[in-house]
Amino acid sequence: MQNRDEDRTLAYQLISFVFVAMLLVFFASILVTRMLYRQIILNSQLDNMRHLAHERVYLLDGIMSNVEALAQGSLNLYLGASISDQDFMDHLQHIHSDNPSIHSICFIDEGFHAGQPVVMTAQDNQFQKVQIEGKDYQFTDWYQIPTISGRAQWIEPCFESDATNTLMISHSMPIFRQESITGVLRFDIQLSYLQDVINRNTSFQVGNSFLISSTGTFITYKDPALVMNQTLFSLAQEYNDPDLSNLGYAMVNGEMGHLYVNGRSSLGQSWVYYHPLRSNRWSVGIAIPQRELMASVNIILLIQTIASVLIFLIVSIIIYARAVNVSKPLRTLARAADIIGEGTFDTPLPQSPKSFEISHLTQSFSAMQKSLKDYITNLKITTDEKNKIHGDVIYASEIQTNLIPKNSENPFGIKDLRAYGILEPAGDIGGDLYDYFMMDQDHFCFVIADVLGKGIVAAMAMTMVSTLLPSIAPYHKDSSELLKKLNQFLCSNNVESNFVTVLLGILNIQTGELQYSNCGHMPLIIRSIELKHTRYPETHSTALGVFEDLDIGSSTITLNRGDEIILYTDGITEAQNVNEEFLGISGLEAIIETLPMPNPENTARSILQAVHDYARGSTHKDDITLLVLDYKHPGFNT
Amino acid sequence: MARKMGFYEDFGLKLDLQPVVTDQQSIDSLLAGKGDVIHIDLLSALNLNRDSTVVVNIAQISQKSPIWLVGRKSRGIRSLQDFQGKKLGMWRSGSNLITQTFLKDHNIQMEIVPIDWSINLFTQQVVDVINVMQYNEYHQLLQSGIPEDDLFVLSMDQPQYNIPDEGFYVRADFYQQNQALCEDFAEATMDGWTYAMTHPQETITEVLRIMQEARIRANSAHQSWMLNQMKDILMANPDNFGRLSKTDFDNALKIMQQTGKITRNISYEEFYPRAKPR
Repeated sequence: MQNRDEDRTLAYQLISFVFVAMLLVFFASILVTRMLYRQIILNSQLDNMRHLAHERVYLLDGIMSNVEALAQGSLNLYLGASISDQDFMDHLQHIHSDNPSIHSICFIDEGFHAGQPVVMTAQDNQFQKVQIEGKDYQFTDWYQIPTISGRAQWIEPCFESDATNTLMISHSMPIFRQESITGVLRFDIQLSYLQDVINRNTSFQVGNSFLISSTGTFITYKDPALVMNQTLFSLAQEYNDPDLSNLGYAMVNGEMGHLYVNGRSSLGQSWVYYHPLRSNRWSVGIAIPQRELMASVNIILLIQTIASVLIFLIVSIIIYARAVNVSKPLRTLARAADIIGEGTFDTPLPQSPKSFEISHLTQSFSAMQKSLKDYITNLKITTDEKNKIHGDVIYASEIQTNLIPKNSENPFGIKDLRAYGILEPAGDIGGDLYDYFMMDQDHFCFVIADVLGKGIVAAMAMTMVSTLLPSIAPYHKDSSELLKKLNQFLCSNNVESNFVTVLLGILNIQTGELQYSNCGHMPLIIRSIELKHTRYPETHSTALGVFEDLDIGSSTITLNRGDEIILYTDGITEAQNVNEEFLGISGLEAIIETLPMPNPENTARSILQAVHDYARGSTHKDDITLLVLDYKHPGFNT
Repeated sequence: MARKMGFYEDFGLKLDLQPVVTDQQSIDSLLAGKGDVIHIDLLSALNLNRDSTVVVNIAQISQKSPIWLVGRKSRGIRSLQDFQGKKLGMWRSGSNLITQTFLKDHNIQMEIVPIDWSINLFTQQVVDVINVMQYNEYHQLLQSGIPEDDLFVLSMDQPQYNIPDEGFYVRADFYQQNQALCEDFAEATMDGWTYAMTHPQETITEVLRIMQEARIRANSAHQSWMLNQMKDILMANPDNFGRLSKTDFDNALKIMQQTGKITRNISYEEFYPRAKPR
């Protein structure tokens, strides 16, 4: 838990953010740097390689052109002027002595030295003339290639035919006499001489130089095991490397350019620049391993990495120190907020932080502290007052409850009547009313009323009706007269102009005659002993309390023995289910049809239960009032 | 490999290898009594016996003709008919008789340039067609930068001309006096070939070592090719492994007689005494 808190600190978050941002910048920078430097260095090194290759080609071509010129000059001398065999031999000996690049000279002609070849070579700095025995030389490359092709050519490296086993390359020229070839003049260069030339250091040294022959054979290479043993193509076969084959084809075909070789051979993972010789079909290659090429780039990247890490560390330390300094008043403010939150509103706040934002926050917090303190004080007063009002309301509710008659087996001791009422206010107090009382010895008066609205005003109106009716009833034997008086009273005293729907009945308990007036209230329902019910939808006026001179009528019906009078307010018919559908009078009648034998208490409770079932899950609330009476119930008398 | 693995010693034989460059040097050495066993091709051996039985075969290595004629498609050689009038680099000794017979039978006239072993006349475009050994020079051409799909190849491995090449020969009188020794030599040699074919990497390493000591150009890719091709040539007729079949002998003799090189009749058993039931 502590670690999580530390993870959320301002310093941690700032450093984390900076770290991620710097990491992204760092990687992007490394990639871009690597790409740019790689290309720059590659171009630069390829340029160096090209210069070096040109230099090597120039040197080799110089040597070989010189040999070609000497050979051609000697041949011209031999054919063009009458020169004795000995003089020509002396000439060749001078050329051999004066040109260190020439290892040996071989001369064969029909008219010279009895047609036998003569080889001049130097052993231990002593000039020697060597005889070649037999005629097998006629099947050597150096003899066959010029004599069959009829042109001077450089011959692929071969071992000297003497005992020295020296590797040489030869420039072999056919000797024409009268349009027929009569012999061969061959100038040899020791291969090691060319190897020294190509391996010689120059002012700039780039990669490894190598030379290949026209068949792709390595003439020089850093690994001597490859020299004269491997070709670029055999190496390609050995390492299954198509890049080497492509390089080989490019070089033996006399092309010029560069190529990346990707395999595992000693030329693998290297850039190779190649350039052909002019003198023959050989080619010079300069190879530089990719790792050497990238070495300088890697050093730059290493320096860049170290610099980036150092910058990150320094920035992190600065950010951490600053964040801790900046967040210190914040932490003090947070601790003060904790104490204030516990109710100590006079807790002092940190003074004058340097940061403008923190200072502004502290000022705002101070203002909030004062507002909070005032608000809590006002809230306390308001709460006290509310509690007092609520107490009064509870007390008013008790008074209201006491105003309605208590359910009893036989109200006022009248054996022919049973009554059961339920008043269920939506809040603490309601605007519904039911009441019944004896007007005289024979007349039983009952009333049910619904005051528009809820709350204190409705309750007060209900209280007025509840207290007024019993007091004026003895003076009025007619329901319409009684309600007119009530209307006049309400009109003159109801300041809020709340109107009241009322259904009031006066039952002669001796005759069963019921006179009633319905002033805008729900229809009266009478249920017979045969479980049939009748709805009396007729109203005799609008609601009371609105028009002072309201004309109110009445109806009279005679109850049969066992009839049950069902009175109710709109809280029953306007009950809503979860789909906000009203129960309606038809719904109430459907409930009544399912009820058993009339019994006011059972009927009232069953209807209420059914209404609650119907409205289960609904948020709609209204006062619900039910009053059920039955008259001379057969079961009751027995 | 037979020598390295001590197979000759197992038979009580002491081997002394004598280096030579050409077949003729081998033959001269044998006839002069400087060597006891030589390694030449079948037709050259028959040629030695044109008048009397001079040499006898004690082991036949090659079981089919390894000779191929090769030209470059890029230089217009795409069929046998394209050989007409072109220059052919052909060995001046050995089995060139097969090639000559083949060309004569197909009425192809070529300018023959006798060569020893170099492929450079072909790579330098001095000759148009060259004869090569399937197991050796052909692969040297590939290793000299000639793409394989640029090569037109005509194999002598076809009826009438499929004459096996190399075998081991001794003088007839030497064989009469050392029959068991000759057979032991043949058996040890073929054991060596069997070992070489079943242990290619070891064989290639050993051959490379010997060639490097002798300062002979060598690389492992080429030696690997050679061993694989020799396996194909040695095992062309597995029932006759190391032995000269009568059919091959008859075909070879027929060519020699047709070309007039030999006029007398030579029996199979006379040339290859190991064929006689012992």
